[in-house]
Amino acid sequence: MRVLIKLFATFREGRFKSEEWELAPGATVAEVLSRLKIKPEEVSIQLVNGKDAALGQVLQDGDVMALFPPVGGG
Amino acid sequence: MKFTNEQMERYSRNIILNEVGVKGQIKLLESKVLIVGTGGLGAPAALYLAAAGVGTIGLVDADAVDLSNLQRQIIHSTTKVGKPKVASGREAINDLNPDVNVVTYQEWVSSANITDIIKDEDYDFIIDGTDNFPAKFLINDACVLLHKPFSHAGIIKFFGQTMTYVPGQGPCYRCVFLNPPPPNTVPTCKEAGVLGVMGGIIGTVQATEAVKYLLGIGELLTGRLLVFDALEMEFRTVTLASRKNCVVCGENPTLKDLIDYEQRACEL
Repeated sequence: MRVLIKLFATFREGRFKSEEWELAPGATVAEVLSRLKIKPEEVSIQLVNGKDAALGQVLQDGDVMALFPPVGGG
Repeated sequence: MKFTNEQMERYSRNIILNEVGVKGQIKLLESKVLIVGTGGLGAPAALYLAAAGVGTIGLVDADAVDLSNLQRQIIHSTTKVGKPKVASGREAINDLNPDVNVVTYQEWVSSANITDIIKDEDYDFIIDGTDNFPAKFLINDACVLLHKPFSHAGIIKFFGQTMTYVPGQGPCYRCVFLNPPPPNTVPTCKEAGVLGVMGGIIGTVQATEAVKYLLGIGELLTGRLLVFDALEMEFRTVTLASRKNCVVCGENPTLKDLIDYEQRACEL
């Protein structure tokens, strides 16, 4: 199955802005994070198809997953 | 309230707008906005709100102007290095627009003082221009508990984000971000750097939201997070939902007392 991964702000550094990944059925949000080498505590917003997603959420073919880091400077 | 000839001239470009007019300008002159942090975000927000004729502007910051601030904190200037930021901010605002009453609070916000500061002038709108998560959560919680609208923003490197909270009209900052990230997991601007204009772009969006709220016009960034990437020159909005079980604004709120999260020493 294919899932579109979108990264924002500092998550793009050394990674990518948007990539389509071929994932095995049953892949979860946590597995994508692990492949991206992003720790769950480094994520401020994780969305699947625009909705809040839990780490254990199983991704479906055609899903769009978006990850935002915390941005707290001023 | 009557305008002087000078005020008619000064605010003519506002007044000529159908959405502002004489009534709207009077509203602005009678409005009170509190800006927490007179740094990258707060500096441009304060200048534009002062220029627009917001009648009372509160500035909160314990810090003094440092030479390294001047790359982005445009309310301050070289001759003000070493001066308290709130004093420097007051002088710049008075220079720009003597109509504005500037109230200064030379302190860091904490659970001990934020309620009193917001209540001091019964501010109509609050701008979060702070540079750390403990302060951002504190401002959110205080505003929710006091039923005050506010604009959140954060910037780092080439990235920025902002959203607006209005009581009863969408999620609060905590609905979206839950808790501050663990200390030392996220770099500060001091450590990571920030392009000077980031505060200008995002801080002026905050000022725009304040003016719109005060005038009651347009669509605010309630229920939406505006994210900006300067390298890609890309703005996008992410739709945000309220959390029914939010501990501060949810159906059964459990957070009644403000929290001072562990704070790292950092510069505004």
